[in-house]
Amino acid sequence: MAKPFLIYVKHCPVCGDGLCRVRVCQDPRRGRLTGCILCDDCETVWTDPSLKQKFTKGKVAATPCCPDCGESLWEQTSHWADIPEVCLLGWYDSVQIVRTEQRDQIV
Amino acid sequence: MARRSSNDNEAIANVLRVLPAKWIIGLLVAVVLYFFLQPRLNQWFGWSLPSLAAMAGNEAPAKNPKLTNNKTGSAASKSPAATKSTAEPKSPSETQPSAVSKSSSTASTANNVGTASKASTASPKQADEDYKYRILKPVGRDRYESPAGLIYAPGSEEGHRLAHIAKHLEDQPERPGSHGVFEGDMASFLVAIDDAYKRARGHAKGTKSRVEDGMTVYEAPFDQTIGYLGGTEGARKRNPKLKKMRLVIRDRNLITAFPIQ
Repeated sequence: MAKPFLIYVKHCPVCGDGLCRVRVCQDPRRGRLTGCILCDDCETVWTDPSLKQKFTKGKVAATPCCPDCGESLWEQTSHWADIPEVCLLGWYDSVQIVRTEQRDQIV
Repeated sequence: MARRSSNDNEAIANVLRVLPAKWIIGLLVAVVLYFFLQPRLNQWFGWSLPSLAAMAGNEAPAKNPKLTNNKTGSAASKSPAATKSTAEPKSPSETQPSAVSKSSSTASTANNVGTASKASTASPKQADEDYKYRILKPVGRDRYESPAGLIYAPGSEEGHRLAHIAKHLEDQPERPGSHGVFEGDMASFLVAIDDAYKRARGHAKGTKSRVEDGMTVYEAPFDQTIGYLGGTEGARKRNPKLKKMRLVIRDRNLITAFPIQ
């Protein structure tokens, strides 16, 4: 089910078309929530919303990987962050939130 | 559609009674092997071996792509639009349009392909298989290589790069900011991507390239419009036409591609 809000930091400085969105990875072994910024078009990964430090190394080649555990960010352990998760990460002030559905559709 | 009569079945039963058991077992093994290998052999070598169902008269026999290509060869070589309008699969080398390397004609060619394919009545899944096998060459499990050498592999949020770039075939008017939309279908999009890639790699006039942490970002202009600006910014600017394409590539793997201003 599509999330009612689209949360992003800014437009991607690398590709220019993607949105730098907050991706969270839940490490099943440690149960820890890790956040990073991922362009939803060119898949560049940054470690935080300042977009100063890219993360390019990971366990899976040619795939964006979690800066913490190194696993693919497209695995089922990862997902786009929702508002509470953004707050947990302390990044609420860095993001822009766009409602993607009509108000009466939001449950 | 031919149906096997009861007389045929009796004749087969009589023959089976006469044959030794080891012959029958060998025959059955051969039939099972043929059942599994027939589609693979057709795919790998471009043969047109009929399926068991076709031999039993329950299915139309497979068309020979090579023969079909010869029949339509003159039309196919004229433009990719002609190749798209026919329903038979073609090999990648035969479908690589001669005009692809010429930037001046690519945009119009691409748009022609799009127009032709929109008119076709093939199902979306069939069309999906068509563009893969007409333009792209399978090079592994779910991996495809374009004539220019770009690799389309599994990955991205959508599961495959082809599915990912397909997002740039439609506008997303609710999406914040800009969203480059290619006007045409996937086949023409793949042709345009290959053209842009070849020209940008060859440092052709007007092209740009930069390297960003293992990724290469190419930009290539086209003589004609290839798409328009979508998204909220595109809507605000009344969807201006776009004549440039940007590609993001990592080790020959295409990550994304879209028209830009």
